[in-house]
Amino acid sequence: MPAPVSSQLRTLIHQIVPASAGSPSLTRELVDHAQYFLDSYLGGAGQGGDLADLANLMQRHIMQTSSSSTPSLRLNNLLSRLYDQPALSRKHAILSFLYTLSQQSHPTSSRSTITNPPAASTRRNGPSPFNTSLDAPFPSAPNHNHRGTNGLPPRTDPAPGDPGLQSKAALLRAYRLRIGKSQVPLHVLLRDAVYLLQGISGHCVRFVTITTDTMEKEDRVEFVDTPEGSIPPPTRVLLHRLAELGHLHRLITAFLDDRSLSPSVGLVEQSLHHELRFQLTEYHKLIALLESHASRSKAGDDGGGLTLMRMEAWVGEWKLRLRLMSVLVEGSKNAHGGKLISLIHAHTKNGDPFIRDFSTQILEQVSKPFFTSLQAWLFSGSLSDPFGEFFVAPGKRNHGASDPDRPERDAVELEGGGISADEIDADFGGDIHRTWQEKWSFRAEMMPSFLNEAFGRKVYSTGRSLNFIRYNCHDVEWVAKQASDWTSKSLKYSDIAGLEQSIDAAYKVASQRLFEAFFVKYRLIDHLQALKAYLLCGYGDFHDLLMDSLSALLAKPANALYRHTLTTRLLDAIKGSNAQYDPPDVLRRLDARMLEYSHGEIGWDVFTLEYKVEPPIDTVIDPDAINSYLKLFNHLWKMRRVEGSLGAAWGRVTSGSRSVGRVPELQKDWHQVRIVMAEMIHFIRQMHAWCHREIIGAAWKDLVEFAQKQEGDLDALIEAHNKYLNQMVRKVMLHDSKRGHENNLATVRDIFNTILQFMESTDDFWRHTTHEAHIRDRQRDQVRGVHTALSLNARDTPASDETLAGILARTKEYSARFSQQVGNLVILLSSHADLDIRFLAVSLTGFGGFYSSRRDTTRG
Amino acid sequence: MPREIITVQIGQCGNQMGSVFWQRLCAEHGISQDGTLEEWATEGGDRKDVFFYQADDEHYIPRAILMDLEPRVINNILAGPYASLYNPENIYTSKDGGGAGNNWAQGHQAGEKIYEDIFEMMDREAEGSDSLEAFMVMHSIAGGTGSGLGSFVLERLNDKYPKKLVQTYSVFPNNEELSDVVVQPYNSILTLKRLVNHADSVVVLDNAALTRIAGDRLNANFPSYDQTNQIVSTVMSASTTTLRYPGYMNNDLVGIIASLIPTPRCHFLMSSYTPFTGENVDKAKSIRKTTVLDVMRRLLQPKNRLVSTVPSKDSCYISILNIIQGDVDPTDVHQSLLRIRERQLANFIPWGPASIQVALARKSPYVSSSHRVSGLMLANHTSIASLFRRTLDQYDRLRKRNAFLEQYKKFKTFENGLEEFDDSRAVVEELVQEYKACESADYISYVRIYPPLSKGTSH
Repeated sequence: MPAPVSSQLRTLIHQIVPASAGSPSLTRELVDHAQYFLDSYLGGAGQGGDLADLANLMQRHIMQTSSSSTPSLRLNNLLSRLYDQPALSRKHAILSFLYTLSQQSHPTSSRSTITNPPAASTRRNGPSPFNTSLDAPFPSAPNHNHRGTNGLPPRTDPAPGDPGLQSKAALLRAYRLRIGKSQVPLHVLLRDAVYLLQGISGHCVRFVTITTDTMEKEDRVEFVDTPEGSIPPPTRVLLHRLAELGHLHRLITAFLDDRSLSPSVGLVEQSLHHELRFQLTEYHKLIALLESHASRSKAGDDGGGLTLMRMEAWVGEWKLRLRLMSVLVEGSKNAHGGKLISLIHAHTKNGDPFIRDFSTQILEQVSKPFFTSLQAWLFSGSLSDPFGEFFVAPGKRNHGASDPDRPERDAVELEGGGISADEIDADFGGDIHRTWQEKWSFRAEMMPSFLNEAFGRKVYSTGRSLNFIRYNCHDVEWVAKQASDWTSKSLKYSDIAGLEQSIDAAYKVASQRLFEAFFVKYRLIDHLQALKAYLLCGYGDFHDLLMDSLSALLAKPANALYRHTLTTRLLDAIKGSNAQYDPPDVLRRLDARMLEYSHGEIGWDVFTLEYKVEPPIDTVIDPDAINSYLKLFNHLWKMRRVEGSLGAAWGRVTSGSRSVGRVPELQKDWHQVRIVMAEMIHFIRQMHAWCHREIIGAAWKDLVEFAQKQEGDLDALIEAHNKYLNQMVRKVMLHDSKRGHENNLATVRDIFNTILQFMESTDDFWRHTTHEAHIRDRQRDQVRGVHTALSLNARDTPASDETLAGILARTKEYSARFSQQVGNLVILLSSHADLDIRFLAVSLTGFGGFYSSRRDTTRG
Repeated sequence: MPREIITVQIGQCGNQMGSVFWQRLCAEHGISQDGTLEEWATEGGDRKDVFFYQADDEHYIPRAILMDLEPRVINNILAGPYASLYNPENIYTSKDGGGAGNNWAQGHQAGEKIYEDIFEMMDREAEGSDSLEAFMVMHSIAGGTGSGLGSFVLERLNDKYPKKLVQTYSVFPNNEELSDVVVQPYNSILTLKRLVNHADSVVVLDNAALTRIAGDRLNANFPSYDQTNQIVSTVMSASTTTLRYPGYMNNDLVGIIASLIPTPRCHFLMSSYTPFTGENVDKAKSIRKTTVLDVMRRLLQPKNRLVSTVPSKDSCYISILNIIQGDVDPTDVHQSLLRIRERQLANFIPWGPASIQVALARKSPYVSSSHRVSGLMLANHTSIASLFRRTLDQYDRLRKRNAFLEQYKKFKTFENGLEEFDDSRAVVEELVQEYKACESADYISYVRIYPPLSKGTSH
C-alpha cells in the first residue's frame, strides 16, 4: 500500500515541480515531506473512528475556546443537518477535515499557516483517489514520531528561497518571461504609483492631457509598455484608481499656482488657498511615507510590505479629501467671499461624517477673514473688506463709476486693490439725508449660509448704526470704546451660538445708542412735536394769532407780499402765544415764506410755514417728509382760515344781531343765512376736529408708542415716521384710490371756496342791512328833531333794492351750492374704503342723518 | 396777544361763585394766594393771561371786577386768604351798603347811579387787554343786585362794547321750592329779558339742580353755598379749559359759542359734568369706572345736568360740545360717538346737521384727580324752555294778583306804568316759542312773532 502512495506522490511532485524530475534527492525530500504531512494530518483523524466521537471532540473544543453556549448550539444544529444530508456520502471525512482545519487555525501553529495555502491547494486540487487513500495507511501519532527521526525537523520553516514553495508567483513570472509577456515588477509599479499620487507621470504610467470634443482639457492615464514588461489589467484598474488622486492633485496645484499670482484673489479665497496648501503638505507627508515603504519593499520582490492594494487603502481617505478639495477649487472659480463660505458650509451638512468633519475643519480656517470683517463691522461699524467679499458693500452712490450689474470683483480690480472704509466714509457721494439708506447695501448672496438672513440683517443694521453714530452723529469716542469693549470677544465659526448672541447683543447696544442719539442728543421728539405743533397746526393759539395778523396781508396778490413782513408777523405770533415757551432750537428752525406763485394768486394761496431740519435728523425727516408736512399744512391752514372767518362772521350776524335786527323785513333772510352758516360751521368744525382727533391724534399716538418702545433700528424709526406721515396725508387729504387721489380733496377745496364766497356775500348783506338801519335811525332821529352826524352823508350811498336782490340771490346760490357739494361729498365718503374716512362722512352728516334724509326727500 | 376775558361778578351770589372760581383757577395755574407763581408751577402749556394779567412785580392779578350793593360778601372775600389776589381798584361796594332789597328795580336804578364808578373799572380793564374777547358775567337772576345791577351792566356792556362777547353764568332760582324771596318771578322775568337781548350766551345754572346734584353726588343733604359753588366753579373752569390750555381747536370763546348757538336768541346753554369727586368737592362720592364712553353717556343723562328741565317728547339738542379732559385715546372717542349714535341716546334738531362735538382738553398738571377722564357737556337743548315756561307761570300767578308791585313802582323804570313787565314777559314768551319752533323742521322759515326791538334798550 505505501508504495503506490509514494509512487503516486512522486508522479504528483514531478508534475507540480518539474525541476524535481532530474533530481532524485529533491524528489525524495519532497516525497518525505509530503509523506510527513499526510501522516501527521490523517493520524488524528483515523483515531476517531465514528461520527459521534468526532462530534464529541469538536464539541469539547468549542467548549474550551468559547465561553458562550451559542457556538456549541450552532454546531449541534449544523451536525444534525449534516446527518440528515443524504447527498453527502463521506460525512466523516468532511467532519474530520473541518476539525483539522480548526486545529490548524489555532495560534500555536501560526508558522505553518504561511505555507498552508500551497499545501491546501494541493490537497484541493488533488485527484480523488489520492484522497480516498488518505484514510487508512498512516496512523498518526506513532508515524509522526517516526517521521521525526527521519532527519526532517518537524514544522520547520520552508525557507523563503525554497524554489519549490515560492514557486507559484515566481514560476508564473518565469513563465511569462519565457513567453515574452513579462509583467512590470512591483517595485517599479510602486514607484510609478508614488509618482502618480503626486500627479507626475511615471515610468510606465503617465498622464496625458488631451483636448476633448468640447474643447476642454482633460487628464487621461496612459499605460506604457516598458522593457520590463506590461501591466496586467487588474493592476491597471488599480493604478487607474490611484491615478485619480494624482489627477485631483494636479487640478488643485494648478489652481493654486494659477490663482495665487492673481492680485484680485479675495481674503477668503486666499485663506482657502492657505488651507489647501496645508492639506497638500499633509498629503505630501503621506506620500513620503509611502515612498519610503515602497523603496524598502523594493529589496524583496513582493516583500510583505507595500503593494498597490495596500497603497490604495492608505490613500483612500485622502482620495475623499482631495475630491472635496477639488470640488471647492472648482467652486471657488465662480464663488467669491461669502458665497464661497456658503459653498463650503454646504458640505458641512454632508451625511458622511468624514466629509462633514473635514469641511468643517476647512471652513474654520477659510471663514477667518470673514469673521475679521464681521468683527470690524459689527463692533466698530467700519467695513474692512478690500475685496468685496463681505455681505455688506458700499452703496451704489459710492461707486459712481461702477456698474451695479458688473460683478463686484471687477469693480474691485478696477480700483486696484479695493477700497478702504475711510475712503467710503469720506467719499460718500449721495445726499446727506440719504446716508442711512444709500451709503451701504446689503448683499444677500454674500451671506454665509451658516448665518440666517435675519441675523445678517441685524449685523448689517448694527454696523450701519455704528457707522452712522460715528460719522453722522460724530460720536467717535463711544464707537471706539464700544469696539474696544468687544475686542475680547472673538468670533469664530466653531461658536455659532456665541456668535448669534454677540450679534444680538451688539445689535441691541448699537440700536439703543442710535435711538439715544436721535431722541436724546438730537431731540427728535422735540422736532416731531414741533412739526406737529407748527405745520400740523397743533398750536391753536399761535395759528389763530398768526392768522389774525396776516389775514389782511394774505388777501393781497402774492407778489405784493414781502418775506420780511411774514417773518416779523411770525415772530410776533410766537411772542404772543405759548409758542414762546418752545426751546430756542425749535423756534430757530421755524420760518414763514411764500411758495412759488404764478400770476393771479393771492397771499392765501402761497403762504406757508416751514420747519428746517439738519443732519442727522433729516435722515428721519427727509425732504420728502417735509414736503408732505407742507402739503398737510396747506390744507389744515385753509381749513383753519375758513373756520376762523366763519367764527368772525358768526360774531357779526348772530351775536351782532342787535344791529341787524333793526330792519325787520330782512329778519327772515337773516334767519336763513344763519341757518346755512350753522351748517357750514358744523361742517368745518366736524372736519377740523376729525383731522386732528381721529387722524393726527391717533397717528401721533402710534408714533409715540414706537418712540417709547424704541424697538428695532433706524430703519424701523424711519418706517414708523413714514407710516405716521403717510397715514395722515392719505386720510386728511381724503385720498381715494378708486377716484384718483386728489379728487375728494378738490371737492373739499371747492366747498371751502363756496363758504368763503358765501361769507363775502353775507358781508355785503350785512353792510347793506346796517346801512339801512342807520338810515332808519336817522329818520327816527329826524322825527324826534335830533340831527346826528350820520344824517349828512347817509343818503349819498343809498342801498338800492336792486343790489339787495342781487346780494340775496348770490347768498342763496352759494347756500344751495354748499348744501349740494357737502351732500355729494358725504355720499362719496360714506362709500370710501377707509374706515376713518367713512367715519368722517358720519360726522359730517351729524346725528340726525341730515344729509341722508334730505337726499331721500329730494329723491322722493 | 391772548384773547382776554374779563369776569364781572355781581351781587352776593355772583361774588361767591367768583370767589370759588378764582380759587380754582389759581390752583390750576399754580398761582398762590397772593398772586405769585408757585415754585413748583414750572410745567408750561397753560395760558394764564386769558384770565390774569401780570403786574410788574411778577404778581398775577385776575381780570376780575367785583361789585355788590352790600359789602358783606366782598368783605368776607377781603378778609379771606385770597384777599390780596384781587386788584383793590376793581372792587366796588356800595358806600351806604343798603343792598338792593331783593328788588330788580332797585338794583337796576342803583346801576345808573354808580355807572361812572363801575364802567371806569371796565374801561380800565378793557384797555389793559390786547385783544379783549369777552366779558363773563356771574350773577343770579332772582335777587336784587345780581338781577337788577346785572341787567344794567349787560345793557351797558352791549352799548359800550358791541363787538365783545358777553357770556353769563346765571344762577336761576330753585322754583320747585318756596323761596324767602317772594318777588323772584318778577326779578327773573325782568332779568331774562336782558339775558335774551344783551347776552351772547348764557350758561344756565339752576339752583334746584345744583342742590340735587350736591345731594346725590356729594352726599350732602343740606348743601352749603360753598358746596354748590364748588360744583359751579368746576363747570366754569372746565368750560374754559380749552381757552386756558390751548390745543388745536376751541382756543377762542367765539369758536365754541358759534358752534353751539346757530341763531342769536336761543343761546341758553345747559351743562353737565361728570364725575364730581372728593378732590373737587368735599365729601364727594368717588366714581371709579370712568371710560370715555361712560363719561359721554353720563353727560347725556338728565340727572347730571346742572339744570332741571321738563323735556317733552319733541325736545331735542340743537348742539352739544363735550369737553373731555384727561388721558384720552382718540379711538375711544370715536367708538363712543358711534355707540351713542347707534343707540340714539341723543336727539337732534331736524333742520340742520348736528353732532356731539368732542374737544379733548388737557388737565391742569397741578390738580390731581382720581379719575382718568372727566367731562363737561355744554348743550343747547330745547327743553330749557320749560324752565322759562315755569318762570312765566309763576310770574303770571303773581302778576294776576298784582302782588308786590308797589315796591317796583317806587323806581324810575316803573314810575309810569308796568309796560316793562309786559315787555319782558313777551320777550320770554317769544323765546319759549322759538325754542318750540326749533323742534320742527320748519324752523328754517321761522319768523319772529314779536317786534324784535323794545324801546327800553335803544339808548
